[in-house]
Amino acid sequence: MQEAAGSYFDGLSAAKHKVVVRLDEATGYLTFEGESLKAVQHWRLEDLRLLADQPGGGWLTFTRYTEHEDETLSHEARLSVRDGAMNARLREIAPRLKKRDVHRGTGMRVVKTLAAAIAAVCLMLFVILPAMADTLARMMPREREVQFGRAVIAQVKWFVRRGHGDVAVCEAPDGLAALKQMEVRLTAEMNMEYELDIQVFDHPMVNAFAAPGGQIVIMRGLLDDATSADAVAGVLAHEIGHVENRDATRGALRAAGSAGLISMVFGDFSGGALAVVLAEQMLETSYTREAEAKADDYALEALKKAEVSGEGLATFFDYVLGLESELPGALETPAYLRSHPPSLERANKARSFAGTQGATTSVLSDADWSALQSICD
Amino acid sequence: MSTESDIQGQYRGTRSELFNLAFVTSLLTLVTLGIYRFWAKTRIRKYIWSSVSGDGDAFEYTGTGMEKFLGFLVAIVVLAIYLGVIQMVLFFFGISFVAEPTSQAEVIMMIAAIYINLFALFPLIFYAAYRARRYKMARTRWRGVRFGMEQGAWGFALRACGYTLLTIVSLGLLAPLANFKLEKYMADRSWYGDAKFEQGGKWTKLYAAMLHVFIGIALLIVGIVIAQASVFLGMVLVIVGYGWLIVGSIYYRVHAMRYMAANRTLGDEVTFTATPRTGELIKILFLGSLIIIGITFGIAIVGSLVFGGLFAVGSEALMIVAGVLGAILYIAFLVMISALSLVFIVQPMLSHFVTELTVHNKDGLNTISQRAAETGVDAEGFADALDVGGAF
Repeated sequence: MQEAAGSYFDGLSAAKHKVVVRLDEATGYLTFEGESLKAVQHWRLEDLRLLADQPGGGWLTFTRYTEHEDETLSHEARLSVRDGAMNARLREIAPRLKKRDVHRGTGMRVVKTLAAAIAAVCLMLFVILPAMADTLARMMPREREVQFGRAVIAQVKWFVRRGHGDVAVCEAPDGLAALKQMEVRLTAEMNMEYELDIQVFDHPMVNAFAAPGGQIVIMRGLLDDATSADAVAGVLAHEIGHVENRDATRGALRAAGSAGLISMVFGDFSGGALAVVLAEQMLETSYTREAEAKADDYALEALKKAEVSGEGLATFFDYVLGLESELPGALETPAYLRSHPPSLERANKARSFAGTQGATTSVLSDADWSALQSICD
Repeated sequence: MSTESDIQGQYRGTRSELFNLAFVTSLLTLVTLGIYRFWAKTRIRKYIWSSVSGDGDAFEYTGTGMEKFLGFLVAIVVLAIYLGVIQMVLFFFGISFVAEPTSQAEVIMMIAAIYINLFALFPLIFYAAYRARRYKMARTRWRGVRFGMEQGAWGFALRACGYTLLTIVSLGLLAPLANFKLEKYMADRSWYGDAKFEQGGKWTKLYAAMLHVFIGIALLIVGIVIAQASVFLGMVLVIVGYGWLIVGSIYYRVHAMRYMAANRTLGDEVTFTATPRTGELIKILFLGSLIIIGITFGIAIVGSLVFGGLFAVGSEALMIVAGVLGAILYIAFLVMISALSLVFIVQPMLSHFVTELTVHNKDGLNTISQRAAETGVDAEGFADALDVGGAF
């Protein structure tokens, strides 16, 4: 019978018992006795458990499995064996040495708690935080919002710059006058809350965007490729919609709020950081989808009041749709990951709206339209 | 001064074992998008706890990853609701409802709303810190007997807020008061088995440990004053003062720790002596940082050479393979850095603290009996959610 020295703690007091441990392989028992112990102890080998993640070498500490109520599911008694040969033999023959015992009903508890946590986080992300962002966006003092918008525009300028030097702002006087004329036509009948500040950037991208505080930027590429002044008016009306709905400010606030919560969920670690970026991306774009539809509605309303045809906007959507299908490869991005609702849907909406309109006149004269198109010259 | 009846702390963890454990668990955390982090932390604690021993008997950490995970989920629910409710209450009283403030009072209310939101988290962080310590105590055993800590997280949060405020208002002069009282609050609620810890001493005694902090501040002030006359001399003094202040704050913590240990008792007769050394800790910090930087740069250089070579000769297929391999290695590299700091800084420091701790009158331990299992602990879920607490 294999023998080794060890220390035994009975789990009742902190007193140490020096013991001699004997391994009886025939009966499958580990027995030990010592001077300070009243009776010989017998532990069944299949109940023997090794404490997890101990440093190797030296001694090992064992415990005994019982139906215990505490976190470990093992008896409070501990046995430390300091004999290498004995420890090696025990590792070989004790069948459940490394079994991790789990309380019954743990699975159900996990499911329930997980469901509650997900529900609470979703409530926060999709109900409470948006409502807060709404309020805060409305609370933000106008000057600060305008300042914030300038910072955003400066950032975009830096982002889209090509080569060296900033993107130029186009300021041909005739073009500016035409732009102002378009703005007045679109906003005269609307109840405007913001004072608009519309700029044209000398950049080939076909795009326009609204920054916080009433600032709108149109890229030259949009003026180049637009089929008519009405198309530009449609896009501009859409961006005015974003401005009046405070979408940019609200989006920023909402992202700031949810970023904290999301990083709380995923933890602050390399694995988490990746997940946070992904999750935020999805959240951010889902906001814009809803906001885009609202801005479209606003645009159609503005066009209606200004008696400008929606046909121009519809043609522009057709054009964007053409661009989309020309994208190389069959890498179809999932709809929810895209920041704009499908253009076909938007084109149809604008077109059917145009059908319901009464008499319309073009937003700009031909001369003014060509002045606007050459605003960057 | 070690005698027959003393126990000297020992640490037997090794670099390679801890590194392997930290690396593997970090990788698993990465792969599971962070979910494994509760198990990772638990396993590292188990390793570190069982590496600490006294009188040849190892400590044991009995916490489980599962209970930590569940505690975290509960904390998320509570926190989401807590923050949500605070918003709603403010909302209800119209504090944040002002679209455009027209009067002074409305502006003040608006600002108040923003700050209430911000400070609503502070008591929670202290609350979480106490709960985390309580959980760790409840899951720590030595010689099979549990440690434990009484409830009192809200009391702690309240006091911590008050003392922190006092420290800020007094420009740090009352820091020893805050440190002493908060440490005493926790120590006086701590148990080993059925024996209670007791923290004695006076908070004013901690000022002796502040000596070098004061010297550093004095040098800074003198430097700034002199800089008006001689920029160079002033700059030198400011830099020296800054360095002095940093070393001085480590000195303060070390000597505060010594004082607190010397005045702590367990039960009727067990006492403690702690003798950590400022120089040793700075050496560990300095050498550890140097080693980590060295390894990091070494790997970065070798990696860029290998991949640079591959890209230079490589066919397209080889390039793709190299790209994928590079991405994987890059992630492994990030994971490794966190494991390295655990191995080269955290573990050596811990080892120093443990081996410099002596427990006197060890026979007093033999009469200590087991305490009941603690089931109500929340497994420090709040600390996890709020990211309170360190590497393990």
